[in-house]
Amino acid sequence: MGYLFGSHPGQTVLVSPFPPGSVYVYVYEFPDQPAGAAPTARRRDDWQRVVAMSTADDGDTLPGIPNVGKADLDAMVENERPDPREELADVEADTDLGVSMAEDAQSVARGEISGDEYWEKYDEAAAEEFGDAYRETPNPAVDAGDQTVSTETAESLSCAVGSMDTVSTETAQVDDGEGGIGTGGEKWGMVIDLQKCVGCDSCTVACKSENRTPPGVSYNVVMEEEHGEFPNVTRTNVPRPCMQCDNPPCVQVCPVSATYKMDDGVVNIDYDRCIGCRYCNIACPYGARYFDFGENYDDEVEGAGEITSPEYGVDRGSREEGKSPIGNIRKCSFCTHRLERGEEPACVETCVGDARNMGDLENPDSDVAQMADSSRAFQLKEDEGTDPNVYYLK
Amino acid sequence: MSTQRSRFEFDPGFEDDRLRVAWYAVVGVLVAVGAYATYLRLTGGMASTNLTSIVPWGAWVAFYIYFVGLSAGAFLVSTMANVFEVEGMHRIDREALFAAIISMAVALLFVWIDLGRMDRMYFPFIWRQLTSALSWEVHAYVAYIGILVTELYFSMRIDLARVAERTSGLRERFYAALALGRLDTSEESQAFDQRWLKRAGIVGIPLAIFMVHGGTGVLFAVSKARPYWNSGLFPVIFVVSALLSGTALVMMIYVLRTRLFDGDSVDPDLLDRLAQLLIGFIIVDAALTAIETFIAIASLHPHEIETWQVIMYGPMSWSFWWFMIGFSWVFPMVLLSKRSWRRTPSVMVLAGLSVVIGIIAVRFNIVVPAQVMPVMEGLPHGSYFPTLVEWGTSVGMIGVGLLLYTLGAETLPLTPLSGGDHE
Ligand code: SF4
Ligand code: SF4
Repeated sequence: MGYLFGSHPGQTVLVSPFPPGSVYVYVYEFPDQPAGAAPTARRRDDWQRVVAMSTADDGDTLPGIPNVGKADLDAMVENERPDPREELADVEADTDLGVSMAEDAQSVARGEISGDEYWEKYDEAAAEEFGDAYRETPNPAVDAGDQTVSTETAESLSCAVGSMDTVSTETAQVDDGEGGIGTGGEKWGMVIDLQKCVGCDSCTVACKSENRTPPGVSYNVVMEEEHGEFPNVTRTNVPRPCMQCDNPPCVQVCPVSATYKMDDGVVNIDYDRCIGCRYCNIACPYGARYFDFGENYDDEVEGAGEITSPEYGVDRGSREEGKSPIGNIRKCSFCTHRLERGEEPACVETCVGDARNMGDLENPDSDVAQMADSSRAFQLKEDEGTDPNVYYLK
Repeated sequence: MSTQRSRFEFDPGFEDDRLRVAWYAVVGVLVAVGAYATYLRLTGGMASTNLTSIVPWGAWVAFYIYFVGLSAGAFLVSTMANVFEVEGMHRIDREALFAAIISMAVALLFVWIDLGRMDRMYFPFIWRQLTSALSWEVHAYVAYIGILVTELYFSMRIDLARVAERTSGLRERFYAALALGRLDTSEESQAFDQRWLKRAGIVGIPLAIFMVHGGTGVLFAVSKARPYWNSGLFPVIFVVSALLSGTALVMMIYVLRTRLFDGDSVDPDLLDRLAQLLIGFIIVDAALTAIETFIAIASLHPHEIETWQVIMYGPMSWSFWWFMIGFSWVFPMVLLSKRSWRRTPSVMVLAGLSVVIGIIAVRFNIVVPAQVMPVMEGLPHGSYFPTLVEWGTSVGMIGVGLLLYTLGAETLPLTPLSGGDHE
């Protein structure tokens, strides 16, 4: 196994032989940013799969199971496969180096050469090609849970040491001068088009896997309402995240100010301050708050707790009894950690009907501002005076 | 004074040693059950409860407001003696104050165990929120306990000094320390105490009514999201039912302590006075609750109507009909109806006990039903009944209260040594 991780100004290329049997080239682009600002990487959508599927022996087929002709399939894939040279020609990095690293990475994947040999071979070339970016960026093959490079080799390499997780959380945690997370210039708002919502609950699922919420905690739910009597029945699906109210009753009642509005309009919960009194849970008119009773999915899913989510830009590591957020109140944060990385919330990204939209409500040209202004727009429980930042389109 | 001193007889504690052993055994069992349940609560976290994100407040919150109510009620009864100088009430002044202090301590135990992060219980004193009723309440409780202790001190100081005078060694030092070293038993010192007792009481009355118990009602009433609580009358009913339960409690322990500790006979006039007070509070409480119910139902607000349906016909309706209506209103009203019964200690103990138990159901019916109804159509309904751990811890905390009260009653001169009214 091996990786190349380095970059030219504005661009980072990552070659990853994972999952085994395939090699991916990821191209990350860094939009122009003022000096000193937090780097926000965006993965280019056209990441390329350079080589796919190992050519396994066709062998004997089992009785009753038709031979699908794996060799034919492999040939088809080979046909479809983009040319690595062409692909890499697009990026500023050295094409020859990229291709040879990719090929050797496959050798590593096949076990022909070791990760150590791979990195010893390319360390110098990568350092030369990518300069400081290579030296300062942690090499994900090193110091990961499943480190593929021996400690001695790792120490001899000129790249930094650290896991990819640290990169993503550091990016989100970067202090941008005014006090970290939530201080951006936007005022985040969401518009959900009820005509487009098909009630598939993907947003709920995406939210659970993005935020790794425990059983009984679901930042987003889809409320299904049936109206009328047979045969004149209509059904409306109303997805419900936290409304990030402008006048949030939850903030009003918290005795320790553990929940408050950030500059970007998102209502934050400070897990290190919340005492778990659940008053906000009582006060929220939308039922958007959930208490973390400390349960987990360990019995249902093996390794359920292995991946964690850097909510509000803080990676708290694995769930442990007596450690926040267990015993705290929780709710949707508009995926603040993703917004800070320049990504949409998981529910918005995943929505099959493209019903959910996220953007800056204070920018009159933004899609959400225009939709929120349309005559179809309304808010839930408008008479509560909470003034939600989630709008719905009738 | 010297002639008077021989008149004072100070022998607190149970008259009957077998009763003492039996009582401590009962309290010991309660505390042991509570200790085990608390162990389960601490190791199992909040998952050891039947609470959910739909019904986040349950038995612990109900008991918390119950004990705050008992305390506020008992305190207000004490002010009848030391502020309003109602005749013949001085005998129960300290009793009421001491019960109020213990109730408040128990209430705070309930708040504590209810926190998701018990280790952060001091946070409200570090960070605050001006708009949060709970933030204000926490401070009011502390101030209120301060007032109660101050009052008890001024009410009891002279007798502590007298007892210290007549004992020696460790005991003397104990009582002298409780008197904070002010061992003067002169008339002037007593007048000084009386004056400060009254002043503290005057500060305490608004604190108890508006901040401590009214405020606890406000804590619920500000929840716009729960129409059942969101009414102006709600905090008022809170205060009235507090007075009801507090009076019943004081009446009950007055009889029991006089009989079992002092070996005295109960003063039928005092008992009758407390009983009449109780009648008044029952009538006002029932009337205000009826008005509140009527307004709620007449509003035709679906949330209100459905909540009342849950209360009156839901799976827990027995607690409404039997405990709330039966034990806290109808049954005691029957017992209080005859003058001769009102002067019979055993009947009045029964009436007091009935109210004290009935009001528990009132508190449960305040906390739980409003959460059963979902805040929005399409969200799930809640359901809640406490787990054994919740019951066990509750029993244990009540046991701690009984233990503290008994220990106090066995050592402190809660009955004025001079035997009652102003000397
Ligand atoms: S929806 Fe509820 S939790 Fe979210 S901001 Fe509004 S009141 Fe707070
Ligand atoms: S549960 Fe936490 S966030 Fe909610 S009111 Fe209590 S302390 Fe504040």
